Amino acid sequence: MRKLLDFLVSKRHWFLFFLLEIIAFAFIYRSSVYQRNILLSTANVITGSIVSVSGSMQSYFYLRKENKDLLSRNGELEMGVLELRNKLNEMVADTVTFSGFQGTELADAFKYSFITAKVVNNSVARLSNYITINKGGKDGIYTHMGVVSDRGVVGIVSKVADHYSVVIPVLNPKFKLSGKVVGSSHFGSLSWDGRNPRYATLSELPRNVEFTQGDTIVTSGYSAAFPEGIIIGTVSGYRKQNDDNFYSLDIELATDFHALNNVRVIRNNDQAEQRRLEEEAKEND
Amino acid sequence: MINNVLKAVIYFIVLVLVQVLILNNIHFFRVAVPFLYLYFILKLPAGMSRTSLLLLSFLMGITIDAFSNTPGLHAAAATFAGFVRQPVIRLFMGKDVIPDLSPSYRMFGVGGFMKYTLVMVFLHHTVLYLVESFSLFDPVFLVIRILASVILTTLLICTVEAFNVESLKSGDKQ
Repeated sequence: MRKLLDFLVSKRHWFLFFLLEIIAFAFIYRSSVYQRNILLSTANVITGSIVSVSGSMQSYFYLRKENKDLLSRNGELEMGVLELRNKLNEMVADTVTFSGFQGTELADAFKYSFITAKVVNNSVARLSNYITINKGGKDGIYTHMGVVSDRGVVGIVSKVADHYSVVIPVLNPKFKLSGKVVGSSHFGSLSWDGRNPRYATLSELPRNVEFTQGDTIVTSGYSAAFPEGIIIGTVSGYRKQNDDNFYSLDIELATDFHALNNVRVIRNNDQAEQRRLEEEAKEND
Repeated sequence: MINNVLKAVIYFIVLVLVQVLILNNIHFFRVAVPFLYLYFILKLPAGMSRTSLLLLSFLMGITIDAFSNTPGLHAAAATFAGFVRQPVIRLFMGKDVIPDLSPSYRMFGVGGFMKYTLVMVFLHHTVLYLVESFSLFDPVFLVIRILASVILTTLLICTVEAFNVESLKSGDKQ
């Protein structure tokens, strides 16, 4: 008995080793997309504020590019405003009963609004990349909200703390989103193969969909996170899938993840209702 | 003794900050990321008990995890590195190591320290990338990533060690 005890004590580092590895693997397996534990992530206040130091330094390097993008985006929006104003004038001229069309109805029709946020931590080279942004629950951010840049889709919010949130970007195998060729209604599923941060794959697209290289791929609107029609990227190539009924498209992503600085979180104004519904569904589970 | 504890604390804080603020953003050719935090595990005193070695390695790994959104990944790899450190040292140096000193060029010889670093880095990175690839398996890419990162981390650790003033001085005590 004593010998057995001595033996166990002398091998105690083996037990400790296995114990620690089990803890580590428990963390790995529990870290699914829907994980609620924010202690071990950059959404935590301590880690969040430390990584934001490097984020705020890096943001200066991209100011010029950022500025250029904003200018061009501004130009586009100005054009859009002019166009709409023209249309409005035409409609005013056309209709006598135009005063019945009220601004509030227009606001109700579009149920999404934006919360702008700054990227404080970002990675593109790992297999599972994450983005940390400097807005959190206190700013009205919830999990499962969509995140876009000024060019296109970025990702989906996965963890929220008071002042920071972690976003799962397109560049992460956990990210799944359906997309479609603009103008068609057949959708495929978007995923990333872990190699090139500029490209992703749209698979399971039915063979009868017509497209050419350079066509725009947009969100399908089937997920609550993104409204329909947000740009994902452009078609840069395609191949037949093994089962021969589907195409698999190479998508050049619209968002430049290397130089991501400012993003917008999409708030779905019906989210409260949707969340209540989801809670109920979970309770009944 | 107190000296060693203080030294370990400073190494820990500096290496965590360097790793999460600078090195996590470096990725040569999109495949190689240097994991300098392993230097902390390499430099713990040679005679340290295996249990405290394991606990410190785990602590280092879990701290890096918290900053890189990879719960458990670095903890698993670092714990493994801490576990194999003593057998690796014994393999290269035999049993005649001075327990209170940290491994260094002085203590192991230049070639010896490089071999020690290379083996430790290789074991650590293999575990790290294998565990990471659970979510997406791609063997060729995996091997490329392991080898590229091993080369980068080993070069970085050997360079840092060459310029580590504290380490050069500590060799004199013998």
